[in-house]
Amino acid sequence: MLIQAQQLEKTVDTSEGPLQILQPINVSINAGDTVAIVGASGSGKSTLLSLLAGLDLASSGEVLIENEKLSELDEEQRAKVRADKVGFIFQSFLLVPSLSALENVMLPAELAGHKGAEKEARELLAKVGLEDRWHHYPNQLSGGEQQRVAIARAFVGQPKILFADEPTGNLDAKTGGKVEELLFDLNKDYGTTLIVVTHDQRLAKRCQRVLQMDAGQLSEAAQDVA
Amino acid sequence: MWHKISFRLLKHELKRGELTIMALAIILSVTAVLSLSIFSDRLQAGLTERSSEFLAADRVLSSRRDIPQEWLEQAGQMNLKTSWKVVFNSMAFADENMTLVDIKAVSDGYPLRGQLEIADEPFGQGYVAEGLPAEGEAWVASQLFQALQLDIGDDIEVGNSSFKVTKVVTYEPDVGFSVFTDSPNVIIRHSQLEETGLIQPGSRVRFNVLMAGDNSDITAYEDWLLPRLNDDTHSWRSIEDGDSPLSRSLNRAERFMMLASLLGVVLAATAVAVAAQRYCQRNYDVVAIFKTLGASRQQIRRIFLLHLLLLTAASVAVGMALGWAIQYVVIEWVAQKLDATLPQAGWQPYALAGATGVISAVMFTLYPLFRLVSIPPLRVLHRQLTAGNAVRWLQWVLSGGTIYALLVIYSQQWWLSTALFAGGAVAAVILLGLGRLFISASRKAGMQAGSSWRLAMAGLQRRAAANSVQMLSFSTAIMLLLLVIVLRNDLLEDWKRQLPADAPNYFAINIAEDNVDDMQSMFERENIPSTDLYPIVPGRLTHINGEKLEDEVTKEERDEEVSDEDASENDGREGIGRELSLTWRDSLPPNNELTAGEWWGDNAEPQVSVELNVSERLDIKVGDELRFNLGGEEFTVPVTSLRKADWNTLQPNFYMIFNTSTLEDFPATYITSFRLDEERKSDLYELFKPFPQASLIDLDAMIDQIREVIGQVSLAIVFVLVLVIIAGALVLVAQVQASMEERQKELVILRTLGAPGKLLSRSITYEFLVLGAISGLIATLAMEISLFILQNQVFNMTPVIHWKLWLLGPAFGAVVVAVLGRLSCYRLIQRNTAQLIRKLT
Repeated sequence: MLIQAQQLEKTVDTSEGPLQILQPINVSINAGDTVAIVGASGSGKSTLLSLLAGLDLASSGEVLIENEKLSELDEEQRAKVRADKVGFIFQSFLLVPSLSALENVMLPAELAGHKGAEKEARELLAKVGLEDRWHHYPNQLSGGEQQRVAIARAFVGQPKILFADEPTGNLDAKTGGKVEELLFDLNKDYGTTLIVVTHDQRLAKRCQRVLQMDAGQLSEAAQDVA
Repeated sequence: MWHKISFRLLKHELKRGELTIMALAIILSVTAVLSLSIFSDRLQAGLTERSSEFLAADRVLSSRRDIPQEWLEQAGQMNLKTSWKVVFNSMAFADENMTLVDIKAVSDGYPLRGQLEIADEPFGQGYVAEGLPAEGEAWVASQLFQALQLDIGDDIEVGNSSFKVTKVVTYEPDVGFSVFTDSPNVIIRHSQLEETGLIQPGSRVRFNVLMAGDNSDITAYEDWLLPRLNDDTHSWRSIEDGDSPLSRSLNRAERFMMLASLLGVVLAATAVAVAAQRYCQRNYDVVAIFKTLGASRQQIRRIFLLHLLLLTAASVAVGMALGWAIQYVVIEWVAQKLDATLPQAGWQPYALAGATGVISAVMFTLYPLFRLVSIPPLRVLHRQLTAGNAVRWLQWVLSGGTIYALLVIYSQQWWLSTALFAGGAVAAVILLGLGRLFISASRKAGMQAGSSWRLAMAGLQRRAAANSVQMLSFSTAIMLLLLVIVLRNDLLEDWKRQLPADAPNYFAINIAEDNVDDMQSMFERENIPSTDLYPIVPGRLTHINGEKLEDEVTKEERDEEVSDEDASENDGREGIGRELSLTWRDSLPPNNELTAGEWWGDNAEPQVSVELNVSERLDIKVGDELRFNLGGEEFTVPVTSLRKADWNTLQPNFYMIFNTSTLEDFPATYITSFRLDEERKSDLYELFKPFPQASLIDLDAMIDQIREVIGQVSLAIVFVLVLVIIAGALVLVAQVQASMEERQKELVILRTLGAPGKLLSRSITYEFLVLGAISGLIATLAMEISLFILQNQVFNMTPVIHWKLWLLGPAFGAVVVAVLGRLSCYRLIQRNTAQLIRKLT
């Protein structure tokens, strides 16, 4: 079992008292799975993603990545887990504006201290079709191109898990389709576990599992294998 | 690996202009500190060199007995130049005329500093003397030609020797500025001293050895010499802060420059702080991304610390180069313009500038950096998340501590730094409160106005917290600018008042009582502006409230002390135990101000008014009984008032003024000062022919010297002003830039909702206009208060309220802030909505 959530809850304090965003959630994800988390806005999809990725801590319950309890790790140790095992793709791309495409892709590998980051990054940029634009800065790239750089960055260092938060949310349908294609192709090549939060039914359908989030409650939706 | 990332970030951000303001702020503070401190160092050194001319040397060893030849030889071995100057009084004779003269016997090399000037006829145009009178010759002062009815080429007899008068002495650097060197000077060679037979055991002679050389050589010689000196007979002197108008003007100028540069540095530091904060805020997302991608806190800390240190190092280096270049160009220009050479500065300015750059960069970035490092990774999903405010006190401690440290390092004066700092802190709190108040008031006013105004006021109100901080820096910048400008004007005005074009340029002394009316009518007839004629009665203060004072100092020493104007040497009670020039008067002299007691008016009871400095030195209060000895006659009078005299005016001033009935029966000579224009100087001889007893002292040389120095200092002040203005502008730009992001978001929304560009650009302009006007108003208020304190406490000037600035301040603030704000937002408004949205995401 690669990822496990056990009795996972998230409550936040508001001016009108505590607000439970996630009801107790139990879910297990195997290595190599592709999982979509779908649901309405505000249903708690992104919160679940942030807890599974160790970006935030649960109010109660547990997240285990390769049997390691995230709640027992401090922020530094969780960062180490992310550096070693996790890649990310965001709706708003989140590239570092003052780094070139190549440097953005190299970043996770460099932070993890990997040698040969540049070579690997160049190969990935070639795979996403941006080998000629490696020296461009994010503001010199279109939205689709930026997301392709983000995908290349997500795969550098060959993480075991890839979290994607609305990866096509900011793109038009055509570009979104291309990006989606790329994401799944690379995922297949690298054998990565993909957890994607999305509104996009077509994208969800391409995943092996679809989890439905509804007012903080998670349920498994029936899904055909793509 | 992290250092590569750090380098990369720095390189790209520099290229993208993200770091421009911050780099500029650091560069500016380093440039300002370096150029100013080198400049003032070199100017100071130049002025000291110039001041040394008052001694005609760097150091003077004086003694009442002959000085061992061995000491001179030792000085020679230690690379010092030496020259004899033996001074004493004697009668000089020419035919049947005789008068008391000051003989000055000097040896080759005299003067070691400054120049001796001579002329070919009495009161003639002087030129620089090359060498000294030949054996058997004497150069004498113009007055002696009147007193002895001499012509060039005549002989005068001094002691057993006879000297042929070959030149007229017009300027001696070491004669100083004193109206009491009452005997005309005669310069002869030191080698001929012995044959005059005037130096006998018990003669009242002052032996001086002048010395000049490098500072290190002088210090080494001092170490050798001082243990050998006998405090009773020897004195070892250098030019110190005297009581002369020149040194006072210089002190003020130096204090002004120091203060202005200090304010410049604080402004630059503020710009660094604002820019650093903005820089860190802009990097919140980057840090969140880094953390999400697995970066540890330590990695992030290292990356950004290195990044900032690199930026600091590069900026400091650029600042150093620029500062050096600026002072080089300015110094060359000043030197050329004033025909002077200025010595090189030491290493200290470089250390000071480097330290200032590093300290302000590091200390002001620490807190923003601390916040930056603590940005949670979750910000990638929730953009509203920022760092906690848990250690906000750290920011206040760090920035407050840094500003205080800079103040202390720069001024090296605890009390001034503490006063400025405490004043600044109180002012900041008041400004913050006032700012908020004004903003809420303007919001209410804005509600009644048109839509652009309403939008502008709503903007102001919405950003009230940010705006009041922004207003604080605007106000501070504007205030410091106004302060420096006004202070500069006041200072220059003050100097001009002291040295007006019609300032007296001659003193006439030893005027006989019978000549007083004639001389007064001569001044009137010839249209020569002059002061009153003051009677002078020599006398000694012997007792205060029955307590006897140290006394019995020879007249030669009195002359020497007074002529050197070296007040610091007059150590208390002994100092005033000497013979004083006493005067009487019915009315308070012009430029005198009573500080205690009352002026006597018609009261005929014997009484005296004492000058404030002397009263402080001798601890004399109103009501004390002073006993005087005037040529053997003793009497006691009460002190009925204390006076502050303006020693900067070239007018006769007195320590002790009596009412008329007390002194009028004593024999007196009179003194006055007057103004004779350059073109009428040749008439002087004729004008004063009827008053052979009177002696004239030419002040032009000294006045020229003061003017020249003030010229140099004024240039320096302009230079400081320019730097402070740049620093102020930088703070304004940094502040406007800091608010840009927020404005951008608003603009997008308003634009999207269809607000026309004109409305938006007007509302932005109005917002800055109001912000600037309020800042200007607060700044004017704060400036007046600080100015009042500064002029009172630091510059000893009379404070005035600057009514004009109450209009100018707000107008200036409004225009400058609006223009800067409008220019900074120009690109923002020009962009179309899609571009704006894209820039935001």
